[in-house]
Amino acid sequence: MNAVTTAAGTAQLVGGVALAPLLPGLVQHWKARLQGRRGPSPVQPYRELRRLWAKSTVTVEGTGVLYRLAPSVIAASLGAAVLLVPLTADAPALGVGHDVLALAGLLALARFAAAASAWDTANGFSLMGASRDLMIAVFVEGTMVLSFAVAALVAGTTDLRGLIAGTAGTAAWAGPVLALGGVAFALVAIAETGRQPVDNPDTHLELTMVHEGPLLEYAGRDLAYLHWAMAARHWVVLVLAAQVFVPHPAGGWAQLALLPITLGVLCAVLALTETLLAKARILLVPRLLAAGALVALLGITARLAGIS
Amino acid sequence: MIGALLLAGLGAVAAGGVLCGTRGTVRAGLVLQAAGSAGIGVAGFWVLATGAALGPGFTSALEPRVGVDGLSGTFLGTLGLVAAPALVFASRYLRPGAANRLVGGLTAVFLLVLALVLCARDPLTLLFGWEAMTLLPAVVILVAHRGDQQARRTVFTYLTITHLGGVGTWVAVLLLAGEGAIGSPGVIEPGSVTQGVIAVAALVGMGTKAGVMPLHVWLPRAHPMAPAPVSALMSGVMIKIAVYALVRVLVEWLGVLPVWFGVLTLAVGALSALGGVTYAIFQHELKRLLALHSIENIGIIVLGLGACLVLRSRGADALAAFALAASLLHTVNHAVFKALLFLGAGAFERATGTLELDRLGGLLRRMPWTGAAFLVGAMAIAGLPPLNGFASEWATLQALLHLPAVGGVGDGLAGAFALAALASTAALALLCFAKVVGLVLLGPVRSGSDEHPVTEVAPPMVGATAVLALACVVLGIVPGPLFGALTDLAPWPAGSPAGSSAGLGLDLPGTGSLPTAGIALVLVALVAGLVLLRGRRSAAPAPSWACGQVVGPELNWTGAGFSKPLRLVLEVVLRPQREIAVRSQGGVLQEVTYHGRVPQVIDERVYRPLVRRSVELAGYVRRMQSGSLGTYVAYLIAVTVVLLGAVRTGVIG
Repeated sequence: MNAVTTAAGTAQLVGGVALAPLLPGLVQHWKARLQGRRGPSPVQPYRELRRLWAKSTVTVEGTGVLYRLAPSVIAASLGAAVLLVPLTADAPALGVGHDVLALAGLLALARFAAAASAWDTANGFSLMGASRDLMIAVFVEGTMVLSFAVAALVAGTTDLRGLIAGTAGTAAWAGPVLALGGVAFALVAIAETGRQPVDNPDTHLELTMVHEGPLLEYAGRDLAYLHWAMAARHWVVLVLAAQVFVPHPAGGWAQLALLPITLGVLCAVLALTETLLAKARILLVPRLLAAGALVALLGITARLAGIS
Repeated sequence: MIGALLLAGLGAVAAGGVLCGTRGTVRAGLVLQAAGSAGIGVAGFWVLATGAALGPGFTSALEPRVGVDGLSGTFLGTLGLVAAPALVFASRYLRPGAANRLVGGLTAVFLLVLALVLCARDPLTLLFGWEAMTLLPAVVILVAHRGDQQARRTVFTYLTITHLGGVGTWVAVLLLAGEGAIGSPGVIEPGSVTQGVIAVAALVGMGTKAGVMPLHVWLPRAHPMAPAPVSALMSGVMIKIAVYALVRVLVEWLGVLPVWFGVLTLAVGALSALGGVTYAIFQHELKRLLALHSIENIGIIVLGLGACLVLRSRGADALAAFALAASLLHTVNHAVFKALLFLGAGAFERATGTLELDRLGGLLRRMPWTGAAFLVGAMAIAGLPPLNGFASEWATLQALLHLPAVGGVGDGLAGAFALAALASTAALALLCFAKVVGLVLLGPVRSGSDEHPVTEVAPPMVGATAVLALACVVLGIVPGPLFGALTDLAPWPAGSPAGSSAGLGLDLPGTGSLPTAGIALVLVALVAGLVLLRGRRSAAPAPSWACGQVVGPELNWTGAGFSKPLRLVLEVVLRPQREIAVRSQGGVLQEVTYHGRVPQVIDERVYRPLVRRSVELAGYVRRMQSGSLGTYVAYLIAVTVVLLGAVRTGVIG
């Protein structure tokens, strides 16, 4: 294992576990600035995690083992996803492979655990959030797999290391194909990270919650796991966007060096879209995502028709 | 050795069937049948593993022959894997009585007929077995529901549709026999009209039996009517026999099919997958919901088959072999988890007396073993890692992902659409089974009473579901060996990097591999670590948050509520019907009644008009049937005169 592989592996583990909470923190910070507020510091999520870690959990009356296991299962799925998404084309193998479609399975497992916990508490608000989340997921997964298909067509593999290598440099970006895939993935990224216009992460009104709904009944370390899982979701999705769907250099060191900058820019873009766009009606979200799917299909058509 | 085991197994099933006939030995008979099926299963997988065929090969001649090869072995193995637990389950599930003695005997005949179709090596035996396979479930349903008008109507629908569609099977098999193509691929010229006719006939005939949309209408009616273990056999094995026949005809005997047929297969698969799961979400009865999920999974299997056909016609033989293996792997996996879910449903029915989803609840606490096994099955069918459904859906997705890479614009785009359809299907299945798990296993207990609380079912029933759940886990963690053996079933020299899937997980060319064992290990280790880290410090139990209201049973969610966002989004396609009646007195609300249903569009728009037209047409024909002798004599004379005239003018003869 050479130096760049070691560095990529270390950065993947340290970044995915420890730096992930910084991403939602940065988005919140910049969003507040854009809206003319001082807002929380970017390290606010860490303070939240420390506060929650010291608190005791709460057991809801009448719940069983699935309620207690769900936060751990969600955090574990996202942990496996952090292991699965490499940072560079020469990242080390960490035992879970590097297949991009397997990532969809891990995210689905987290969703299932959240929905199961909502049913176990029998809380109407949690169930409302879970049912919306699963409905949106139907369209997210279709669009997500199509955007992966665009990248896989260009790179010739669904191995993420191969995808990062195959979409690096300028040659792959000469035509419109990858850009179309990127547009589709941008919508997926917004939906997966629970950002406006799909979901409002700042809402305190139970009736409008999507991703926050199933979190309602949790406290203490359980809630800390769930917050970390949401941050890890930001990490996984944004790293994927930065290293596949945004132009990036070819060498391992260059990819590693540019990644923090790209991630920062993507967080800024999320802050900007959150400021500019209002939350869409829940029934319009599928149309938005279906539009993304059509863009991805356009990308595939362009590729099949020989436009690079 | 293998042959002896297979014969012993078949003999044990037959003997078990006879034992079921006498009072007092029904349980013993069913257990003996289970042991026999286990033997058949072991022999089947053995043939698959060694690749050594038993008995003679296929012939187009009309002389009875039986034998077993790798593909038959796969399905015989699946039969054993499903039937053995299902019959052990049946030994306690079926209550003593004359009708159930008959059901026990008929299951033995049913199993033997299924095995006969798989072992048939000539068109005559194949078609005989095929017809018997169609008729036996009808008999079982009629025996189990003696005198029930609804059951008779269902059986009539089932027989009508499977026989009308079954014509396709006869046409395909007899045309193949006529061309001498059974067992000797390459006889039929690729791209010829004969090839196209046989392929379409097979897709219609065998597709009807498999339950692909839009030929599926019998399936959600018939499967839930049968007793739970028989439902498990029907969904787990019988419709898989149709997949077996499709693979034989389309992949093995017809040679390389044109691209358009592969695309047609993809379209049928995508429609079945999406349609099956969408309608399943809106069901209120567990077994009917599971039956509709069979349509979805047959759709996924057909998608893999379609990918195989397109890849083969594009000359990507190695990838086509993988697509075929993905399709067959999902066939085995679906058999396992669908049988598990049907048996679980049977256990819940026995314990609570109902299968209405909104009347079940909290069963994971009352029936921990069956509940846990059912949870495993639900997660497997929803395609969640690290279970078996995930492995085969992943492989099918990969097969579809290769279509744009090797195909032209048309089939490439068809592949992309199929890909999106399969991904959305997986997400819809997740929604559906999150709902089922929530309504049946979690939340407050809604059935039973204080005097008669719901309790766990008898140990043999628990054991049967546990074995199938274990199979889901094992097939999910180590799909590699089975997948490798299935790849070798492709009847063309695959030219694949042979060792590529020899490991425990899946590793296809052009993918990041799927180390299923690694993923399972990481997930289990992380969950265990996080649970330990979480500790046990917990505040006093508190009621759930309902904005300060007292949480009562009237606040419980129903399945209709959970699926409402999806229903609203898909309103244009589904055209749901709902009635709300509000009764108020003096401005005070007294009563609200709600009735909602999601009608099946194909039923309403295709079959109902078709049936109405047929009945109208039959009305015209009836006018000719006056019943008086004179009229019939007049018909006879008229026909004779017309025939004589035709001969005279030289039209015929």
